[in-house]
Amino acid sequence: MLPSIMENSTDDYRIQSFDQDTQMLLKTALKDPSSVNLEKVSNIIVDQSLKDQVFSKEAGRICYTIVQAEAKQSNGNVFRRNLLNRLQQEFKDREETRGRSLQEWVCFVTFICNIFDYLKVNNTPMVALVHPVYDCLMRLAQPDALMNEEEVDCLVLQLHRIGEQLEKVNNQRMDELFFLLRDGFLLQEGLGSMARLLLLEILEFRAGGWMLSSTAHKYYYSEISD
Amino acid sequence: MSDWTRDRQRDASSSEPDRRNIGPSRWSHCRKRGIDGSLRTSEADGGDLKGVGQTGSRHLDSRHASFTTPEGTGPVSRCGRQADWGSQVEDDEMRRDVHRDMQRRRILGAEVTQRERKTSSGSSGSCDSREGENMETDEAVLLRRQKQINYGKNTLAYDRYIKEVPKHMRQPGIHPKTPNKFRKYSRRSWDQQIKLWKVKLHAWDPPREDGKDKALDNIEELDLNDVMDIELDFPTLTDSQSAPASLTTHSFLVEDEECLGTPVKVQKTEEPTAEPDMA
Repeated sequence: MLPSIMENSTDDYRIQSFDQDTQMLLKTALKDPSSVNLEKVSNIIVDQSLKDQVFSKEAGRICYTIVQAEAKQSNGNVFRRNLLNRLQQEFKDREETRGRSLQEWVCFVTFICNIFDYLKVNNTPMVALVHPVYDCLMRLAQPDALMNEEEVDCLVLQLHRIGEQLEKVNNQRMDELFFLLRDGFLLQEGLGSMARLLLLEILEFRAGGWMLSSTAHKYYYSEISD
Repeated sequence: MSDWTRDRQRDASSSEPDRRNIGPSRWSHCRKRGIDGSLRTSEADGGDLKGVGQTGSRHLDSRHASFTTPEGTGPVSRCGRQADWGSQVEDDEMRRDVHRDMQRRRILGAEVTQRERKTSSGSSGSCDSREGENMETDEAVLLRRQKQINYGKNTLAYDRYIKEVPKHMRQPGIHPKTPNKFRKYSRRSWDQQIKLWKVKLHAWDPPREDGKDKALDNIEELDLNDVMDIELDFPTLTDSQSAPASLTTHSFLVEDEECLGTPVKVQKTEEPTAEPDMA
């Protein structure tokens, strides 16, 4: 197979940030999972997701494909199991991660939400992830987090992507989250203007049934013409 | 969700009270409690998560490598729920599969009964899984049975078996048949069926280097005296290759949990002796 062909087919997985050897390993994992060490592959993916913002936004896709490939090839679950248990470990240590590096924390939240989005069981979200994801979003909605634009940005991005699904599996927690967001918008002292904008938009977004009316969309997303 | 309720009940009887999530919190009524009890509050994040990031927890029932396909993590505790996400998702997946099976069974019930009648050992119908009548519907039972079936199917032996013998070529008595989880059986009867089924599957174990027949090793592990009230749905009686035909199908008193009354003639499990021929 020509290298260029393989490049094209794996473009979507955003693996360009990996070194060549690792890229080869990942590509092999996608095509022939039982020939590679899947535990190692899942660790590589998780590690990179915690460092690379671009990758963390799309890593769910490659994970999904490997899970499917392994299930089909050998009815195995090694990759998924290791991935989830790594995630669980990172989740457990999230507060410490946040204290050490906001970027890593944000990457983690992005990654776990992306996994929630892509890795479904019989087309339904994995139940085991619902509360952890909510926990992460609630953390982002805390007063100290709202002061950081990157955390607010992460929060609204996740809600745009998976808010509707999350609400469907647990409406009550979504309500609780939005209480916090309203409070943050109204009461938070020293909130940046960008943060306020993002919060206002997400409040409208949910109120509109997880989409913006065309006028609201125009307001938030159109170029300001002079 | 019932999952979490079950979880909390189990943990209530666990022997690790110090790991409980102390104090009420907003979500405690619906919160999953991890083994370290710290899934919610950050301050309770101490304690180790069993099996996280490693190849699962080791359990007492160690199995030969040929018992598991390269899933890697090895056997998982069959009792009690695991707190690691990997196991939770697998359990969730299995539950959904079982529910789907049940739905399918209900719809196809009548049709299945026809087919199974041909291979049943002439039962009076009390153990047919005809819809509504004698079908096992208890979710807990079905899940447990499915788990046992999965353990048997997740073996190299099973993989080799299904590749070698397509379904339509299967002969009752010679070829192992997966026990039907939808039929009503006593716990004991079911467990015995599973045991025997797995024993039979050993005939397809991958050959060992030293040439020893692994199947025989595993037979010795079976306490043959326990092999009593088995309800077989494949007629080994008429099988020409069954040597000592002292098998008695202890008929359909299998609803009893305890084996009461007249002791049944112990089956000398002629299958194992037959197996080396088939290996």
